[in-house]
Formats: sequence, structure tokens, C-alpha cells
Amino acid sequence: MVNADEVREVLDGALVSVLSYDDGSGGVSSHPMLPLYNPENKKLYFTSSILFSRKIQKIKRNPKVSVIFTGRNFIRASKYHVVLVRGDAKIYEKDLHEGWEWLLSLWRKKEPYIDAFLKQRIALPLFWERAVIEVTPAETLVWEGGDTSREPVKVML
Amino acid sequence: MTSLEEIKSFSECIVSFMGPDGYPYSYPTNFTVEDGEIYVGKSSLTPRDGRVTLTFNHITPLPSGGYTDRRYVTVKGVASDAGGRLRVAVEKIYGWDEKKTPFPEYCEISVPQSRRYVEELVKTYGPKARPKMSIPSLLFRSTRFPFLVATATPVLIANMLALYAGRFDPTLFLLTLVGASLIHLGLNMSNDYFDTKLGADNINRTPTPFSGGSRVLQYGLLTPSAVAGLFTLFYIAGGLIGIYLAVLRGPIPILSILAAGVLISILYTAPPVKLAYRGLGEIAVAVGFGPVIVLGSYYVQTQELTLSALLASIPIGIFIALILYINQIPDAPYDLAAGKRTLVTRLSREGVINLYKALLAVSYLFIAIPAAAGLAPPTAAIALATIPMAAKTVRMVRENYGNPYMMIPAMGANIRLATWTGLLHALGFTLGALARIVAA
Repeated sequence: MVNADEVREVLDGALVSVLSYDDGSGGVSSHPMLPLYNPENKKLYFTSSILFSRKIQKIKRNPKVSVIFTGRNFIRASKYHVVLVRGDAKIYEKDLHEGWEWLLSLWRKKEPYIDAFLKQRIALPLFWERAVIEVTPAETLVWEGGDTSREPVKVML
Repeated sequence: MTSLEEIKSFSECIVSFMGPDGYPYSYPTNFTVEDGEIYVGKSSLTPRDGRVTLTFNHITPLPSGGYTDRRYVTVKGVASDAGGRLRVAVEKIYGWDEKKTPFPEYCEISVPQSRRYVEELVKTYGPKARPKMSIPSLLFRSTRFPFLVATATPVLIANMLALYAGRFDPTLFLLTLVGASLIHLGLNMSNDYFDTKLGADNINRTPTPFSGGSRVLQYGLLTPSAVAGLFTLFYIAGGLIGIYLAVLRGPIPILSILAAGVLISILYTAPPVKLAYRGLGEIAVAVGFGPVIVLGSYYVQTQELTLSALLASIPIGIFIALILYINQIPDAPYDLAAGKRTLVTRLSREGVINLYKALLAVSYLFIAIPAAAGLAPPTAAIALATIPMAAKTVRMVRENYGNPYMMIPAMGANIRLATWTGLLHALGFTLGALARIVAA
């Protein structure tokens, strides 16, 4: 039986996830994104450059989102599971320049050379102006061992 | 353009749709493509209205962290039951493959979206929501500060030639250097201002550190009026130093040369003359950074204009013009679209390379012949030492011609070539001066 620690390890070890949200016409838009899981408040975070800010505008209109963690090659965890987090998003966009930098410690764990890029932010200035998407999980569904032929189980994080 | 064929290279598909509770629902599954439709596995939950989004994601993690080979495809369509599977009729397909659209270009394409988003934020949070950059970084970027080597080098050549002629005042040297540099900064910013106004920089989607302008206007980091204010300030400050030097060393020649320099730099892109748009930009730069700066700087030191100074000004003028010439290669398609008919846009690829080689050869001849003919010290021929570097740079330009990002090292090498040749030329005059002092 899958336990919450294993799920948290997947969230913490995933190098990519796919964020889905209401596209404004009743359909869904999805984007691969680097997930940052904060074990202290059990929330998921994403940073989105203003260059790719259409999703921010859409999520502000309907904050109900889901995030799926799948792909063995993308997840560094001792036990592989496919995890779907469904929850409510909140956007932080007041300080695009520095308001996301508190997430750097989580980001650094997944992309160790991020600081080297950040030092060159003058080269791609708008890429480093970023909004924060905070996802508070409402429901976490897990396909144990990545077996999607079975029903997912609900896990409390 | 993303095609259905591309998704066959992915191993997994993520099916997403709006769940009955209002939250998106997603699951990974396998898939096949048959007769223009996609078949995916089912899950216990199915879309009520059939509308699905399929995500094919390929981002390979590197052992050191981060990713390589970034590409993804999104398909929007309508799903219907097909036995044990869902058949998806494709309505829309899009995505990104960094091999087709390099990341910097992908970012550049997205700039208009970011500008719209920021404008919305400004309505809520005020101007503080705008993108920020520290003032030193902003000035560094907007003035394209590193390009000042193109001014420093000819000023240095002229002053070392004056030293060789037995007349050199370090204060005058510094004043000339600062004055000419300020006018060059004015030129860089006015070039951005007018290229934006005339559309050439706006449509450029592959700018590099050496081409496509500073982008401060496109990124909303500075307003057009701020750029106009700054370049006016630079021109005034540079002009005032020029006037001071004219009063000090000779009004008519210095003011004439100063006026020529300022005029060339403004008319380079400013309407209605816009020399750069008429295939005259390279000549304007060669004259401005060659004879104008060298003769002007030399006159400030010696109060005379000589054939030696004119000859010394030609190679550096050509080398600096060649910086512009090569840097215009990545901009050529956008320049052409904006009606900016630079020399590069008027020639074939081979024509551009051949002219480049010919002009390099002419520059080296103008270094060698005066040194051999006694119009420059023999030590000035030391600048010929960069010929192997020139040959390598030509190869680099040829091999990467037309690919904006692959050309970055070639553009860098071309700037280093101009700088090193100019510095060695100046060193040659310095050594000649020292030899004269020792001989005396």
C-alpha cells in the first residue's frame, strides 16, 4: 500500500510535471513545468516567467488546477508512482523581480546550476521576471507503481 | 509548425479534461496514431463533453541536474469511445521543440505577451509592477557598453601615433577618449531608438548579444522618451568636451571633425537620411570610427593633420565597419523585411564572405604599406600578427553563416580580431616612439 512519504518523495524528486487548468472555454490547457514541493506547508509551487504568462491570466480566472507527476525518467524517487494533485491555485505577481526568489532553495535542489543562469539574468531579463503559482492540494490520487490500469488511490499528504 | 507525425517520437501521452467537480483530471497512457486520429487508453473517468487535451512531453533530465532535449506537443480535440480506447479527433496541435525554435528565440517570440501581461498588472499595482533592472545593468545593456572598444581603439592608435610624432599629453588623451566614447554611447542609443521607431528591431526574433539592438525598448525596460533623453544627454556631454578641446587646441579643424562625427552618428539611423537603411551604414561607420576619430584625436594632440594619420585611420575604420558588417548577418532577414537595406542584405552569402575577405586584405595592406614605406614605424607591422586570427574568423563566419545563435562565437571572434589588430597597431606606434626615444 502506497504511503504519504512515498508520494511526497515523488513530488520532491520530480524534475517535471504537467500543470493543467481551465483554458477559459471549458477545455483544459496543460504545460510541462518544474514543480517545487514545500514539505513544510505541503504546497506545490511553480514559477512562471512573464514571457509565458497566459496561464497566469487563465488561472486567475479559474484557480482550480491539477498537476500530474508521471514518467519514470523524470522522477528521482526510491519508489515510482504516478501522482495527480488536484487543488486550488493562488497567484503571487506583485513583485515579479524578486517575489519568487524565496523558492530558489527548492529550485536549486532540482537544477543545481540555476544560480549560474541567474547571474546572467541581464541576458534574458524578462525570463527572470516571474510570478509564483501556489497550489494547495485538495485531493491527491496515486497510481501505485505507475499502473494506470488500476483505479488510483487517494492519499492524504 | 507542429505536426501529428511528431508525436510518434514520444513514449507517453497525458490525457487531461475537465472533471465533473470542476478540477482538471489527468492520467498518463499509451497511444497510437492511425489515419490522422489519435487513439489513447481509457481511464475510469471520461470527459463528459468529449473535449480532451493531450500532452506529449519529452524533457530528459541530466545526471548533473536540469534538462536537455526539451520538446513537447499539445493536442486539443474531441474524444469518442472506440471500444477499449478513446479516439481523439484532432482540432488543434501546437508545441515547442528547442531544436526547431531555440530557447532564446522562443522567449523573444513571447515578448509581446509579457508586455500585455505587465500592462494589466500596472493597472492593479502601478508602475512598480514593471520589469526591473539595476541602473548599472540597465545602462550597461542600453548603451551596449562593451562596444566602446570600437572607440577606444582608434583613439589609442591616434594618440600613440602622436607619441611617435613626439607629442602626447595624457590629459588631452583622456578628454578625447571620454568625449568620443560619450558620442559613441549616444550613437548606440539613438540607433536603438530609430531602429525601433522604423520597425527593424521590433520584428527581430533572434537577437544576440552582438546583434538586434539592446532590446531595452522591446522589453519595456526603458521608454522611448527615456532613451531619447539619454542619447541627447550623451551627445551634449560629448559635444561639450569636443568644444572644450576645440577652444583649447584649434576651433576650426576640431569643430569640423566633431560636427562630422556627430552628424554621421545621428544620420546613421535617423530619418530622413538613415544611412544604414540605404547600404551606406558600413561606409559611415568606417569613416566615423576611422578618419573622423583618428584624425580628430591626432589633431587634438599635435594640432596638425598628416598623411601618416590618415593612413593609420584606414585599417581601424575598416575593421570597425566589419564588426557592424558581420553583426548584420543574423539581422539580415528582419532588416530586409523592415526595408533596412544593409550591405549584407544586398549581397549573396558568397558575396558577403568575399567582400569580408577583401576588406580584411585591404586593411592589412594599409598596415603593411605605410610601415614599409616609412609613413609609419616598421614596428606598426606587428598588427599583421592577427592575420591567422583573421583567417580563422573568416572560417567561423562561413561555417555558421545565417544561424544567429551559432554565429555568436564568430561575431565575438570578429570583434576580438578588430580589437587586437587595433591594439597591436597602437602598440606598434608606441614601440616606434620608444625606439626613437632610445635612439635620441
